[in-house]
Amino acid sequence: MDLLIDIPAFLRALNILATSAGSWGWIIPGLIIGLVFGAMPGMSVTMAMAVCMPFSLHMDFLSGVVFLTSVYTGAGFGGSVPAILLKIPGTTSSVATTFDGYPMAQRGLHNEALGYALFASTLCGIFGYVVLLFVVKPMADIVLKVGPLEMFVIGIWGLLLLGSLGGNYVSRGLLAVAFGILLGTVGMNTAGFIRGTMGMPELLDGISTVPAMLGLLAASQLLGMAARDYVIRGKEMRRISLRRILDGCVGTFRYTGLMLRGSVIGIIIGALPGVGSSIANLLAYADAKRTAKDPEEFGRGNPAGVVASESAVASGEGGSMATMLALGIPGGGATAILLAAFMMHNIVPGPSFIDQQKDMAYAIILNNIVQGIALLFVGVAFIYAASTVVRVRTRYMLPAILAVCCLGTYSVDGSMAGPLTLFVFAIIGYLMVRFDYPVAAAVVGLVLGRLLETEFLRSMQVSGGDLSYVFERPAAIAIFALMVLSLAATAWSKRRTRLVLEEGRA
Amino acid sequence: MTESLTRRAALAGSLAVLAAPAMVAAQAPWPTRPINMVNPFAPGGYTDRLARAYAPFMERVLGRPIVQVSRPGANGVLGHTYFLQQPDDGHTVLVSALAPFVIINGMFQGARYRPEDFDILNTPARDFTLMATSANNQTLTDIQVVATRLRADPRALSFGVQAASADFVNLALWLQAIGVERSRVRIVTYDGGGPVRNATAGGVVDIGLVGGEGFLPIRQMIRPLLVFEAQRRDAYAAPTFREAFNVQEFVAGSQRGFAVHATLRQKHPDRYERLLAAVKAVSDDPAAVEALARQELETTWYGPEESNASFRRVRAVMETHAALLRPA
Repeated sequence: MDLLIDIPAFLRALNILATSAGSWGWIIPGLIIGLVFGAMPGMSVTMAMAVCMPFSLHMDFLSGVVFLTSVYTGAGFGGSVPAILLKIPGTTSSVATTFDGYPMAQRGLHNEALGYALFASTLCGIFGYVVLLFVVKPMADIVLKVGPLEMFVIGIWGLLLLGSLGGNYVSRGLLAVAFGILLGTVGMNTAGFIRGTMGMPELLDGISTVPAMLGLLAASQLLGMAARDYVIRGKEMRRISLRRILDGCVGTFRYTGLMLRGSVIGIIIGALPGVGSSIANLLAYADAKRTAKDPEEFGRGNPAGVVASESAVASGEGGSMATMLALGIPGGGATAILLAAFMMHNIVPGPSFIDQQKDMAYAIILNNIVQGIALLFVGVAFIYAASTVVRVRTRYMLPAILAVCCLGTYSVDGSMAGPLTLFVFAIIGYLMVRFDYPVAAAVVGLVLGRLLETEFLRSMQVSGGDLSYVFERPAAIAIFALMVLSLAATAWSKRRTRLVLEEGRA
Repeated sequence: MTESLTRRAALAGSLAVLAAPAMVAAQAPWPTRPINMVNPFAPGGYTDRLARAYAPFMERVLGRPIVQVSRPGANGVLGHTYFLQQPDDGHTVLVSALAPFVIINGMFQGARYRPEDFDILNTPARDFTLMATSANNQTLTDIQVVATRLRADPRALSFGVQAASADFVNLALWLQAIGVERSRVRIVTYDGGGPVRNATAGGVVDIGLVGGEGFLPIRQMIRPLLVFEAQRRDAYAAPTFREAFNVQEFVAGSQRGFAVHATLRQKHPDRYERLLAAVKAVSDDPAAVEALARQELETTWYGPEESNASFRRVRAVMETHAALLRPA
């Protein structure tokens, strides 16, 4: 009963949607607000939703939820636009999109890259919700059983990505990631110890990821851009073409296997409370690169890289909605806001909500699928308009980007802590690039550092330091085995290709 | 000619309109501008919902809008600091989980303010620590079973709890009561009540200690074992600490509500009274009580004396057991 759709409730859900026509009107405005917030570097999905929540209180319940989830859906994709065009991720969940999206844009393929990103993100988002329709309850039960050891193994999996980031020196790459992980542990840890805050209460929760990431990635990028007239050099390449955007959209269908894998990663990671899509897109990218026949093409403008990383972002939305609806547990900032909006309409998500108001839960999920379909169209219009930035001279654009970054990081918590973090990390980022240390490795370390430390510490606490605990957690062993197998398989196939090549030469 | 006359008339009219609010302001009681309500915890949390639910009813009494200011971070340190930095003229009100966070902030997080800097108007929402296990756990049927197993082997069970919290003190007091050495027990620390609740319901830890209100949405997924409260609670069929172990001392859970600067009462007694009346009006208004109850929000009126006294009691217990709370 849990697994399959409850048909009567499903029909009632259709009825709810059909009789509340007013709520449909909120989809497009919500999507546009989300896209704009997501595309502004420094402004997050959470912030977009926090700003919109008070408005939703004046709407009826379904309209309010439709409006907020539309903002959520829009912001999920918005971050990829600056990631592709400027190599500045709009949100933490589009870091991996820069790896191949920006090289594509540099080759004049920005239209296609944006098309790939939009369709990969949106189709996988829709897929995530369709899956959710079937498994909302069993999924929630599984999520609760995930323990610290499983989470730690997921973190290690994320670290494996570093092997695929490239860079000229292995040693400097390792140093950069160690630096990133150390930065990730600043603040009060889960056991109550305070490290590296230098007496500043602003650092108790750790270094704010968004401004730090922006500083590291954007500073060197902006300085690099200052030397040219336009972001994309060739005049012919700067053309904005609806036909080529659509080519990219259609091209996405060539990567259905990648999208499916990315969606599964996105849904699972999204459903886990407190992990979030910033890790999902890194994992999906690493997975795609490791299993690709041509891994050396990744990082040079391979559409598969864009598709893989985007596929895990929006699909995570479905996963985190599952946890929120079925357990009343917010997986991240955005679902926390959504949860509050539910409560303010006197609806308390949780097991009893799913049991007693299944029709409403279905109606919300179905509406999200509709939002995804609407985003396919709104998104094309949005990227068509947004890609005009490549035709703006850098001398006008750079100050504007800097201003938006400062505003965005200021608005994170409405204090100077954000812009100051941005400034400090801009200097660090510049120095790292100057001395040929891979900045992206430090960002990955920063994103994963806290997760790794926290979950390792908890694994130690819960096992009491007893290694045999590992055998009580078959899921962790399974993930780990899968990881090792996939690594071994990759190494094996690489070796074979090399041997074949050498034979060919001989 | 007629045109200039109308223009003059219009000018006179608009001057009158402009002057009107000034005249009203001269006579109207305080406040004359919007009140800021500072929330030091994440948007969407209990304090945020409480503030937003109280605001429309308080606005009716005060006659001015209430602006929600969200300053989350560092267990409330950032928001509490920000609140104290605002002028103590009554235009800024704090909504917070005053106990235990203001106390913990000073004890362990190096906050530069003291509990005396806050004057509590009312803390309607009072939580309590609940010890529970997963509903699927077949062996841990009640608290005495847990105690027996732990006495036989302190490492037999794992406990999930938030570090440096009221729940942690209660766990330590309970272990003391059953005579088990705390350093030998497997205690798993989490960053907040939510993750502890998830870990308990999913059986990741054998037993979890969280505020009872936090467990409400997933009530059917857990089995309550012990409540740290003076009386039994309707929502949970579990004995109190005193019933089960004959121990009087425990720490009350989160006490959430409204506070002002400690200096306001002396500086502007009239404004203090106005704000107090606005908070009390919500508890007195049956429509408001019902509206908040539907959102599972409390409106109980304890008043400033009892609220401050209760806050001091929590502080006293926590300071007595400060050693228990330090990260070990």
